[in-house]
Amino acid sequence: MAPAQSRQKVEGIASPRESSREAIWKELAHVIEHAAHQLPAQGPIPVFIHHNTLHAFEDLPFTEAVEQASRLYGCEPYWTEERYRSELLRGRIRLADLEAVIFEDLGERANEKVVDRCSRLDLRLAMLQHPLRLGTPEELSWYVMETDALREIREEAPDAHRNRLIAETRRWVMRDLRPGASPSRKGAEGEDGPAWRTKMTDLIERFGSSTIEEWSEETWEAFTLQALWQVCLDGVGDLPATPDDSTPLIRHRDWLRWAGAPDADVLVHSVLIPFCAAFLDQGLSSWPLPNREEGFYASFCKLYAQPLGPPVSWRRGLAEELRRHMEERVGPLESIRQSLEDLGVEPAEWDEYLSATLLALRGWAGMLWFLENRPDRAVHPVPPGSLKEYVAVRFILDRWAVRWVAREHHGYGGPLAGLRDQLRATNPSRSVPSIASRAFQVFQLAPILGWTPEQLSRLSRREWHNLVGEIEAFHGVERRRLFHLAYERRFYTQVLDAITCHNRRERSRPSLPRCQALFCIDEREESLRRHVEEVASDVQTFGIAGFFFVPMYYRGWSDAHFVPLCPIVLKPKNWVVEQLQGDEQTQTRLQRKRQVWGRVTHQIHVGSRTFALGAIVSGLLGVSAVVPLIFQTLFPRWAGSIRGLLGRWFLRPPATRLQLERRAPSAGPHEGHIGFDVDEMTEMAERVLRDTGLTAGWARIVVILGHGSTSANNPHKSAYDCGACGGAEGGPNARALAQILNDPRVRERLAGRGLPIPPTTWFVGGMHNTASDTITWFDEEHLPSPIATEFEEIRQLFEQALARNAQERCRRFETASLTITPEEARKHVESRAEDLAQVRTELGHATNAILIVGRRERTRGLFLDRRAFLNSYDPTQDDAEGTILSRILQAALPVCAGINLEYYFSCVDNVGYGCGSKLPHNITSLLGVMDGAASDLRTGLPWQMIEIHEPVRLLCLVETEPAKLLRIIDRQPVLARLVRHGWVQLATLDPRSPALSIYRNGEFRPYIPTKDQLPTAPSSAAWYRGWRDHLEFATIAADLSGG
Amino acid sequence: MSETKIVLSTIGPLVILAPIVFVSSLGIPSLLGRKLGERATGRLSFVTVTTGLIAAVTVLVGMLLDGTRHGVMEFGEWVAIPGYHFHLQIVFDRLSIPFAILTYLLCGVISAFAFRYLHREPGFNRFFVFFAIFMLGMVSASLAGTIETLFVGWELVGLSSVMLVAFFQERPAPVRNALRLWVVYRWSDAALLLAAIVLHHRSGGEFHALLGDRPWPEGHPSVSAAWGGSVALLLIIAAAGKSALLPFSGWLPRAMEGPTPSSAIFYGALSVHLGAFLLLRVSPLLDSLPVFAALLVVWGLATAIHAALMARVQTDVKSALSFASLVQVGLIVAEIGLGFPYLALVHLLGNACFRTLQFLRAPSLLQDFRRLENAMGERLPRPDGPFPQASFGFRLWLYRWALERGYLDALLQTLIVEPFLAGVRTFDSWERRWTAFLSGRTAPTQPTTAAPEIEDIV
Repeated sequence: MAPAQSRQKVEGIASPRESSREAIWKELAHVIEHAAHQLPAQGPIPVFIHHNTLHAFEDLPFTEAVEQASRLYGCEPYWTEERYRSELLRGRIRLADLEAVIFEDLGERANEKVVDRCSRLDLRLAMLQHPLRLGTPEELSWYVMETDALREIREEAPDAHRNRLIAETRRWVMRDLRPGASPSRKGAEGEDGPAWRTKMTDLIERFGSSTIEEWSEETWEAFTLQALWQVCLDGVGDLPATPDDSTPLIRHRDWLRWAGAPDADVLVHSVLIPFCAAFLDQGLSSWPLPNREEGFYASFCKLYAQPLGPPVSWRRGLAEELRRHMEERVGPLESIRQSLEDLGVEPAEWDEYLSATLLALRGWAGMLWFLENRPDRAVHPVPPGSLKEYVAVRFILDRWAVRWVAREHHGYGGPLAGLRDQLRATNPSRSVPSIASRAFQVFQLAPILGWTPEQLSRLSRREWHNLVGEIEAFHGVERRRLFHLAYERRFYTQVLDAITCHNRRERSRPSLPRCQALFCIDEREESLRRHVEEVASDVQTFGIAGFFFVPMYYRGWSDAHFVPLCPIVLKPKNWVVEQLQGDEQTQTRLQRKRQVWGRVTHQIHVGSRTFALGAIVSGLLGVSAVVPLIFQTLFPRWAGSIRGLLGRWFLRPPATRLQLERRAPSAGPHEGHIGFDVDEMTEMAERVLRDTGLTAGWARIVVILGHGSTSANNPHKSAYDCGACGGAEGGPNARALAQILNDPRVRERLAGRGLPIPPTTWFVGGMHNTASDTITWFDEEHLPSPIATEFEEIRQLFEQALARNAQERCRRFETASLTITPEEARKHVESRAEDLAQVRTELGHATNAILIVGRRERTRGLFLDRRAFLNSYDPTQDDAEGTILSRILQAALPVCAGINLEYYFSCVDNVGYGCGSKLPHNITSLLGVMDGAASDLRTGLPWQMIEIHEPVRLLCLVETEPAKLLRIIDRQPVLARLVRHGWVQLATLDPRSPALSIYRNGEFRPYIPTKDQLPTAPSSAAWYRGWRDHLEFATIAADLSGG
Repeated sequence: MSETKIVLSTIGPLVILAPIVFVSSLGIPSLLGRKLGERATGRLSFVTVTTGLIAAVTVLVGMLLDGTRHGVMEFGEWVAIPGYHFHLQIVFDRLSIPFAILTYLLCGVISAFAFRYLHREPGFNRFFVFFAIFMLGMVSASLAGTIETLFVGWELVGLSSVMLVAFFQERPAPVRNALRLWVVYRWSDAALLLAAIVLHHRSGGEFHALLGDRPWPEGHPSVSAAWGGSVALLLIIAAAGKSALLPFSGWLPRAMEGPTPSSAIFYGALSVHLGAFLLLRVSPLLDSLPVFAALLVVWGLATAIHAALMARVQTDVKSALSFASLVQVGLIVAEIGLGFPYLALVHLLGNACFRTLQFLRAPSLLQDFRRLENAMGERLPRPDGPFPQASFGFRLWLYRWALERGYLDALLQTLIVEPFLAGVRTFDSWERRWTAFLSGRTAPTQPTTAAPEIEDIV
């Protein structure tokens, strides 16, 4: 802010209207900051942190928030109606669920009659089940003329209704309408008036009244529809128009586009995107932007104020304007003020206009805002105030582009301030539902609900008004909301039923476990845990956030920098490094070799783009590129192992050890200050053991597994890593915790705190690669000898489980056969991880939907289809206040909800909230990706990650008493916001019985199961074999017999 | 000699037949609405590419063993009227075979890559249809023995390139950029077509009629300087458009709209080199015309310098790579002008392979950078840009010039497109006035666009 402020001060002194100007600047700065919160909050992509896409809207109830956001961003709030309808057709949504959510939504009003005997429920169900076509009068006219809409009754109409419709109309015509017939109901005629009757008579004439007795079935059908159409047109004809709720036109560019002119933003972005990219560049280009350190605004002005610019007609005069800005020392806020004045935007409109302007290029603007607030997240951060400077630049370009478009394509040469009024005046008002489209809605519904033309013809004007009002009140977004609720409801019912049924069975904790294993809560670990338990029934597993409560800045022996390994909300206080073992000489030699290798590769990388070196590289070495090209694309797994071999041969991985212990009193990144002291270690260890409830019944080997993912050619790699480690691999945390828990001093202190660990117990750290399904074990060479042989068995056991896990994952990959064996499956996933062409190395968190906080015994042996985050918590070891539960939920719920909601939004609108298909992605500025040659910076998740996701809100099931949970939520504002506003669904499982309660509108109500039996299968494999789609939950019986 | 002939006549046709089979068995079912599935497409591309590759290599081996340097296969006349004929003929020589093998090799790699990369993509079939057309175009252009055959291949390459730039047709930017590419391509097509006509009037379409009977790269052009010069100039213009030489370089970064594998093969590897290939094909003619050879050297070097400067400031990986590739294309053109056809050919093959690999690995950039930083144990050095001694003002100006890609697009727009459009519009208004005058009306009427009345609908 410093340079900008000083400029403004200078100007302020010079200006006579100093105080008023400054007040305006202050106000503008405030408005921009306010609008900035609506920008995407995604940081640089090398560290991908999952978060709720609509975090800024969390103060609103979920449905309200998504609908408001959809208007603001122009994105979809839910899936499309067609999508839900196809889910209805395939049975994923059931009619009963739809009915239930309508009842829940309307209460008593569901049964009120809308037309005759048709209730509101009937009407809404019909509108949900059958698509209603809407359109402009032109489209409708095409539809009516070119299709059989006026000849054949739509085929979805039930046969009974169809026959009745024709028969009743026939009777009506013969009885009342035929020339010469005497109307039997005088009252009806009086209401309808003769004009209406004349039209019917004309219609009969057109079909040939003289041969009316010989009309064929088809003729009667066509006549019925024509009569119906006529009645509908008459009925809605003089109803008042509803207010226009389409997205408002705000910016000048919006108005021009609506008037048919080209998009002025295309011009603006052709300058702004390259400049933003150059300004934010973290080192991709080899020539940094000059004057970058002076800020966005100053560097832009200096760059573009130069003479001899390109001959682009819309930018004529721009350089002079920028020169004036620099000469008159116009600061960014003053510039914004002048631009707004020029555009004729009144202060009352500022909020709306600035927010729309910011959102026009929201990815880039969001990145500026993110980096100015989190300078620690980038190598080259941007100065504070950059977003304001961006707005100033954007407005200048906007003015030039709009002025040019208005002149060239609209013949408007006047002041910009008057442009919008001029466009408003010369163009017809925006569309309101036309008579035809309103009539067409009733016309489409009539055959389905069995409304006959006669019946409709007798409706009074007030009744018509009501009917149309009812239909319009249940508009597209409302229908999608209900569809969505029904879609979720079906899933929640399945989960809750499964948990109830599963818990009705008898089961006991294995008396003497052979091994205990701590996993991350990540839902991808659910299947591995299940397989481990299936392979060996005497293994006990636990789930805990994957940084294992060892928050640290970590630097591996081969890393250049420290990375934070903990959730984004925490800031580590300690630093840990991995140290090479062995003598100093080999160490330095190794480091030097790596350095030389790095320099050479870097030179080739940079040089290949230049003149001379590029010629040598491509001319001489170029053809040899065929070898890696062929190997990496055709034989990725071989290429991977060859590369591994070469790496080992050239840069042999040495024995390493974490430097965990600190002797100096203060922690820091430098020698001597690295690590934790023993008290800190004890603290972390105790936290882990208390939270998981692993406090007694120790096995001889306790495995601690972090996780990470490898994928080739994937800019979004970090999104597949451990979320609890801030989008990095969690192996070091697991390794650190194992080392801490093996430390006799820590054990001594733990025993002092009532947590004795037997001396025979040993902890082993490892990292599970969720892409290639392999485990890297740490510090094996330090295992004491009796443990080492036992560990070999455990390792074999895990290998077996990994193969099974790979097989379960492969059922989701279309390119893997459904009959694949576990061993083949491991090869398959390994080659996926190395494959340059593979855009779905793994499927990430897709299908995540449940968070279960409770003892593993309650869910052990339940097939959860990799959909549940599993956090261990033993309610019997917690106090009455739920201290442990409270801290678990505080950590786990926001993280899981963030992942779940990011997937939700990227899934319901992959183009708007997500970043679209990976195929055209183009890494830019080392910060993110663009679509193709130039576009906005794309945020959110790519299509390939959410493809199989089911967008349902997280169901959080906690093993505790409802009252306790309510108290915890009341105390924690973060949880309260998520729960009370429905961003997650909450339920409890009674610690002593299978009873469930479910949270609705501020209270827990007992859940009444809809099923009393859960399918069983002898093994997970038996249950998932042959299926690609989502699977129902089931009890895996093998585990029961073993346990 | 006879053995080579047998090899040529039996194996040779496979080189060109394989892509024809690929296109027709993929394209015809698509036209009939019965698209092949992903697996079938993959198998088909594997079989045809492998067949073509093996055939091309066999021909190469056969000719090497035999010492033949020039083999011709006739496919008869396309059109023959008295005094005029379009002649289809393919040639195997030291230029065409390496280029055909390169095409098959890279197409094979790319189709294997795309088969997995585009898995489940709604446009999978469309991609492979255009990919097949592209391969057919490349193979027929590289083997062409007459300028007509070359033109056919040239057109197919252009068409399929444009359609793949516009692959994501639901967004406006790809379509806009594809249109721009299409215009430049048509410009160069027009030049090539004119060259073909000039050539025909002089000597018929066969290259050997123009370049003499000696095998490539030797040759004795037997045409007069005026004829030869006009043909050479037209061919250079055609090559400049296709290979994104100055002043057409603007389309190259814009073409990065399609899926990564198509960017790799088209703009990193094959189609950007097609212009250079054309110049190589007629290099004996250029050698005999020193003025044009010099022009080519200057042209190529200017392009290379331009592209090297642009490459410095690009902030996205695909644009940076495309300019890096263009630097080398410029140098290759200069080498042709200097009369080093073999050097140019090797350089071309190397650049094509190397850039394909770089493009395919483009999404790995973040990981690669991190690996490099880790190896070096420090942040990657950030150089200060070119000409560090020059004045700051000049460097600032140069930076802007590079950031706006040398103003090339703007210059083409103002110097060519706008005057052209203005001219066409003037003619249009004259015509309207003339027809109005003839038909006795005063002014052309606009069609009404009023919304239909309710009564219309009934």
